Amino acid sequence: MTIQATTSTRTTGPLTLGFLSVTQEPGGWAGHLLVTNGWGRPIEFRLTSPVQPNRVQSALYGPTLLEYLHAEVIGKTLVDKTGAKPDLIVTDSLPALTLRTRVEIPVIAIASSANTLPADVISFAHPRSSAGLLLSNRFASDRNAILSLLERIDPAVDLTEPFARIRDAVTEHRKLGGSNRAA
Amino acid sequence: MRLDGAIETTELDLGLTPNCQPETKLDRPLEAEVRETRLLTESPWVKTLGRLELYVTTEGWKFPAPPANYASPPRAITEPKAAGKGEPPTGSPCNPLLSRQEVNLPALPDNQQAPKPRIRPKPTAETVLLKDRLLYLLQPPLDGLFDGRQLEVPFAPFQYQLEGIAFLMPRPGALLADEMGLGKTAMAILSLRLLFHQGQIKQALVVCPKALMHNWGRELKMWAPDIPFETFEGDPDQRRSMWLVSNCPLKLVNYETLTRDIDLATDKRVYFDVVVLDEAQRIKNKESKTAQAVRALKRGRSWALTGTPIENHPDDLVNIFHFIDSNLIPAGTPPRRIPQFTSDSILRRTKDDVLSHMPPKVMRDLEVELTPAQRAAYVRAEEDGVVHLNELGDTITIQHVFQLVMRLKQICNFDPATGESAKLEQLLTDMEEVADSGRKAIVFSQWVEPLQVLAEALKRYGALQYHGKIPQQLRTPTLDRFEKDPDCHVLLMSYGTGSVGLNLQFANYVFLFDRWWNPAVEDQAINRAHRVGQKHPVTVTRFLSGNTIEQRISDILEAKRQVFNDLLAQADKPATMGLSEDEIFGLFDIKARPKREKH
Repeated sequence: MTIQATTSTRTTGPLTLGFLSVTQEPGGWAGHLLVTNGWGRPIEFRLTSPVQPNRVQSALYGPTLLEYLHAEVIGKTLVDKTGAKPDLIVTDSLPALTLRTRVEIPVIAIASSANTLPADVISFAHPRSSAGLLLSNRFASDRNAILSLLERIDPAVDLTEPFARIRDAVTEHRKLGGSNRAA
Repeated sequence: MRLDGAIETTELDLGLTPNCQPETKLDRPLEAEVRETRLLTESPWVKTLGRLELYVTTEGWKFPAPPANYASPPRAITEPKAAGKGEPPTGSPCNPLLSRQEVNLPALPDNQQAPKPRIRPKPTAETVLLKDRLLYLLQPPLDGLFDGRQLEVPFAPFQYQLEGIAFLMPRPGALLADEMGLGKTAMAILSLRLLFHQGQIKQALVVCPKALMHNWGRELKMWAPDIPFETFEGDPDQRRSMWLVSNCPLKLVNYETLTRDIDLATDKRVYFDVVVLDEAQRIKNKESKTAQAVRALKRGRSWALTGTPIENHPDDLVNIFHFIDSNLIPAGTPPRRIPQFTSDSILRRTKDDVLSHMPPKVMRDLEVELTPAQRAAYVRAEEDGVVHLNELGDTITIQHVFQLVMRLKQICNFDPATGESAKLEQLLTDMEEVADSGRKAIVFSQWVEPLQVLAEALKRYGALQYHGKIPQQLRTPTLDRFEKDPDCHVLLMSYGTGSVGLNLQFANYVFLFDRWWNPAVEDQAINRAHRVGQKHPVTVTRFLSGNTIEQRISDILEAKRQVFNDLLAQADKPATMGLSEDEIFGLFDIKARPKREKH
């Protein structure tokens, strides 16, 4: 479906975007948050240590494990620790959509062809993204604010592109064994 | 059974009598036995299987935010993609909000291929801090920057220009040595602009030849309209203020002013995050005041731009690198080993590499026969000159030979007695065709005097002059008039004044009335017209007087022209690109040689 803006949310000040990526690495799930301005220029980058649930944790969290890991343990921690608070969070992790229940920031996910869409998400298209966008049905009321924010993003920005940068940066970080270098 | 229907009955006895006998066990009384057992007074046994709580640690980096004053100026067109056919592009004269120069570029297939790989500046080996490396890796692709609203440009840079920007941006020391006409100035300006926007630099200095100051100002307005800049002009007090007080982010100075103000420029309060040297071959002489001045500047990054990093000798390149990174090439490195130290710091592309569909450059070597008067004067001068040179014996010097060469070349242009000129006759014929087709031509000579004579002869073609005797303030209006006045078909330029940095891609004919000593300088001159933006083929006519000194010089230089571009990356190069001493003496059949000290 295509979401139509019903009202125009007037926001001022420089736009800040957060790109939240959660990836499975050898040491467990790791999160990375790139904060950019509306032109896609980096303002802040933060990443987490990997977290690996054990078998008991996996059994006891059951189907809620990924959501808890991506949204609460990784997503919320990154947002809390980041100095530049984003106006909109874009994630490549579907389970991280529920980060919206933990922060007062609209969250959308990049649709992946590999994912089967759960029933509680709304899919929509936008010129700022070469892939479909997903919004939690529980927060459908965010849609006008999200559309308004998307309109403020520079037309040259593709919301899927910064995740490639994040991958490069994570590879570099891993290569240099980066730690204790944070500013 | 009876057949009459009567029923016969039998009586049954249902009475039961139990047989009751007492059990012997119940003969004794029952007694309950009670035992105490502690069952629920102790805590249950608990085994911990692991923490349910999950947690992560984080680390992060904050990057410099773009300064607020570099916000893009307002645009008339909010969505660049909305501009359709027939609409004036942003910055065209039809757009009253912006007075930008529109450059009409040919629709080059190089610019139409899709999809293209994304182009990003990559951190170099010199970038050691993880934070600095991440800053480059996390930048948006360059090819996207010019598609949106954020960076206003007159037209989207070509792919190879984006690669040039990606080369310059992360490098503290770089030599952009692209062939003339590929847009080195635009690449340098956009690189500076992006670094300003990223907050990575705050002060930059561009050093260029005096003749190119106006051109740089124009290009800066075109490619970086949001970056304020100022030029070093005025009296010493004003310049002192500009060096020491002004916080203008970008400053433009010519080599002569920099050399004059060197005490101010090297004041401890003066520091530049980037110093860009345009036409960096100006510092090929390491000991020159100019070279010393630029090396003395306190700076973070050192970028050099030149299409001719080696004009005469591999040392030219080494000396440019004394500015770029003085420690890069160890002293005494043989020429063939230079590339192994410099390869990561040099980017060199030719038009053939990157603009395969650029309009062709047609080279036309036009051999003219001297007029009888010229030939007589020439023979007389050569014979007398050779006799004189031989009479000098071992007191002969290169200067003596040069004097004769100059004299003979001048006769090849014009007969000193009658003013006859075979070249001029041919030029007049060619100009007729140029003017009839509505085209424009540039004529180069190494002397001002022939240009002045040509100006008179080519008056009917609206001839304009651009050389050392034209006052500085008249030069830019001259170029503007040459571009815009349809009646001005020819511009007469000296190699020294007009061969570098100027954009004259609206001219389609170049005439080399006489030849320069160095093919690199001739190439520079030709490429004033054959450069990015040229829409039509460029015809280059090189006049050559047959059976003269011009022919002999040309033969030598032509043999060396090919090696010029190779020297940057190849081994086993000749020691010199111009004429060697032996070659100069060999121009004439003389036996005299300078006296040498024996070692």
